[in-house]
Amino acid sequence: MSTPTRPSLDDPALSIPVEHAGIFDAIPLARTERQQEFYALRDGEMLLNMGPQHPSTHGVLRVILKINGEQVTDLDPVLGYLHRGVEKLCENADYHQVISQVDPLEYISSLFNEWGAVLSFEKLLDLEVPRRAEYIRVLSAELNRVASHMLYMGWFALDLGGITPILWSFAERDEIMEMLAALTGQKLLFNYFRIGGVNGDLNHEFMSRLGDWMSRAGAQLEAGMSLLNENEIFVRRARGLGVIDRETAFRMCVTGPNLRASGIPFDLRRAHPYSVYPELDFDVPTRSEGDSLARYLLRMDEVRQSIRIIDQCLHQMPDGPVSARLPRLLRPRPGRAFSAVEAPRGQYSTYVISDGTDQPFRMRIHDPSFLHLQLMGLLMPGNLLPDTMAIMASLDPVMGGVDK
Amino acid sequence: MDRALKTLLERKLGTSMEGPVRLRQDQAEIRIRPGDLPQVMRTLHDEPELRFEYLADLCGVDTGTTFQVVYHLWSDVTPDWLRVIVDGIPREEPRLPSLTFLWKGAEWMEREAYDMFGLVFEGNRDLRRIYLPDDFVSFPLRKDFHLADDVARSPGGGVRPMERAGAPKDADETTLRRTSPGA
Amino acid sequence: MALTRPTPGGPPPGSPAPPGPPPGAPGSRLPVPATNAGDAVAEAIVVPNALWTPVDGEAYGGVPLDETSTLALKRYEASGEGRRNDGRWGALDVIPTKADYVLDLIRLNSLWPLLSGLACCAIEMMSTATSRNDIDRWGMFPFRASPRQADVLIVAGTLTTKMADPLIRLWEEMPEPKWVVAMGDCTCSGGRYKRSYSTIQGIDRVMPVDVYIPGCPPRPEGLIYGMMKLQHLVRDRRGHWPERNIGPTVPEGI
Repeated sequence: MSTPTRPSLDDPALSIPVEHAGIFDAIPLARTERQQEFYALRDGEMLLNMGPQHPSTHGVLRVILKINGEQVTDLDPVLGYLHRGVEKLCENADYHQVISQVDPLEYISSLFNEWGAVLSFEKLLDLEVPRRAEYIRVLSAELNRVASHMLYMGWFALDLGGITPILWSFAERDEIMEMLAALTGQKLLFNYFRIGGVNGDLNHEFMSRLGDWMSRAGAQLEAGMSLLNENEIFVRRARGLGVIDRETAFRMCVTGPNLRASGIPFDLRRAHPYSVYPELDFDVPTRSEGDSLARYLLRMDEVRQSIRIIDQCLHQMPDGPVSARLPRLLRPRPGRAFSAVEAPRGQYSTYVISDGTDQPFRMRIHDPSFLHLQLMGLLMPGNLLPDTMAIMASLDPVMGGVDK
Repeated sequence: MDRALKTLLERKLGTSMEGPVRLRQDQAEIRIRPGDLPQVMRTLHDEPELRFEYLADLCGVDTGTTFQVVYHLWSDVTPDWLRVIVDGIPREEPRLPSLTFLWKGAEWMEREAYDMFGLVFEGNRDLRRIYLPDDFVSFPLRKDFHLADDVARSPGGGVRPMERAGAPKDADETTLRRTSPGA
Repeated sequence: MALTRPTPGGPPPGSPAPPGPPPGAPGSRLPVPATNAGDAVAEAIVVPNALWTPVDGEAYGGVPLDETSTLALKRYEASGEGRRNDGRWGALDVIPTKADYVLDLIRLNSLWPLLSGLACCAIEMMSTATSRNDIDRWGMFPFRASPRQADVLIVAGTLTTKMADPLIRLWEEMPEPKWVVAMGDCTCSGGRYKRSYSTIQGIDRVMPVDVYIPGCPPRPEGLIYGMMKLQHLVRDRRGHWPERNIGPTVPEGI
């Protein structure tokens, strides 16, 4: 556009002398090309800070929006408000301790965080996991996936203004969490997977709760989803919002349900199978519209498929040990291993370098939400302010994973 | 373990690779020099027989002596992950070309590598800190950045690291910067 | 040489630094601190932190406490400004009155929390607020988004140094009477991130705390128990907010 730009009066490089920009420095000083472009305002534009604390409870994310009236023209996300230094801490922890360190990354789907770490270590060690342990892993992980997608549904509706779906979905989710607490001992950060298996076998409490839940899960979840599936306000707001087309999806390294909602049937459980997924019969739902409604409906389809998988796991559960025997002090040979699992948000992968000691030399964790937040810069401009949070909610980010 | 991929890569990339293609379990690994990065990535991305269109991961590694940047790619033609290690980035001058011309999604991953290691990606339009506050002066994941109460170095001799009352003052050259053989 | 600041005297000799293009552009020279292979880094690289100071002066290599960069909260308390309109009756404060009792009853039965869920504990906080463990039974359902309308700041989740600025600002924006609940291990003491370079090991280093709820994450029942303890604190008028300093404010005999 040829309209002249003027520097923003909010740009502290101009208006606030550096020595006064103290601890309450609201806007970072512009330095890079992209920032200089961002802080140059056109006529009618202003900067709006959607601070790290805001009612859309995806976590502590700060977005500096450039708005023209009600319409967003550009945005600059500021991350790092939850950066806890997990990768550095993992370098200073045993291999066994790393599992509990990576739990709080994507805290809503903790078991997948552990699975990614444990899978890498097993590749380093060339370790074979007992089949019963693999089935238990799949069972508990798919339960976690159902819980995560239920939370997604609740949050998405909450960001659009609906209070009821989150109450219903949390009721569902709490039931699953109690089930997993009976199995793992914890409601949220499970610390259940171990290198070579899982921590403990299925117990009576878990099986009775699971059986009880399975007998009514289908109908109950459908009732919960029906709150939104045909809700005119929800559908009309979400349809056509934040469309990701195929080219953009590849260019932005999108994974998981966001990718499948854009028409690309890439699911790591089928494309690069791990654990016992080759033996299980499930579909990979795909939608082609790529908008927020498609992302929501796709995740609901995945919930149905997950229930199918849980059912098969229960029927095909073999006997045997639930954990391989490993020494307490674990020293793999020097080497490198990469593994990826299909977390509810996308591809959660870990890359570990071992140097022969009992601590990993480098533990790299790549979580899906980090790259999905990059999509915000492409999807939000052109939309109205209330839709910004709708788009972000439909991408399903978890700030613990984004900020590590 | 895809041996066809190994021959394919050797045919297409040839002299750009340093050392052989290493296959282990479900990963194939190649090493290249920093200068060759854009052209190798362009080949991997565009060649109809390779079609590595999916960038799974981009991370930095501090081997103790040099820096590396490791890329993981996925393609439909092979069941293996491809790992591209850009080796030999000097510590005093950690610059290498950016991949944002090919994958815009790499921009934030490169920002994270800059934030954690100080690796400068030339061509990244937005290279600034992403996780740490803007006035943070160190790069945490470097091997010479020690945590404050550092009992970090594992003696590997059967003593649990948390029990060892080590302090940076006790450190000497051998324990200081852990280097990984062949990382 | 520590990597905390660039070597004095400009760039290291032997590498000329021309005034190049702006940083970020191709060919720019960002100030990358140089490390020489021969340097023996024999002490911890301590990033001087102007935000909070450790209680123990010897920790972290004995970082000198910088008195000039104290928090606005400390300055505010020292000035006595907050005591002027504290709704109490000056010297008569020592005499508990019926009005005080009623006021505290009113407050404790509708403690409105601020939405300050930072990390995993926020999920447990939301779980407490929803149907299964309904905290609305104690009047705490409306999680206010604006600090101007909130009574209690439930810090749920790890506090990082970057987030400490906004959180303290939120705390200062809350009108009195106000209380702080440290939910989860990360806020009580740093928890599993005790050794991290970017977290604050316990929010009582930066704000006064009334109730500590340990757990990782604490169960909703634990949070409810903590909130009930806070209600007891309010009722027994031991949540005297004007005299609070940064640090634990748990009175003797609790």
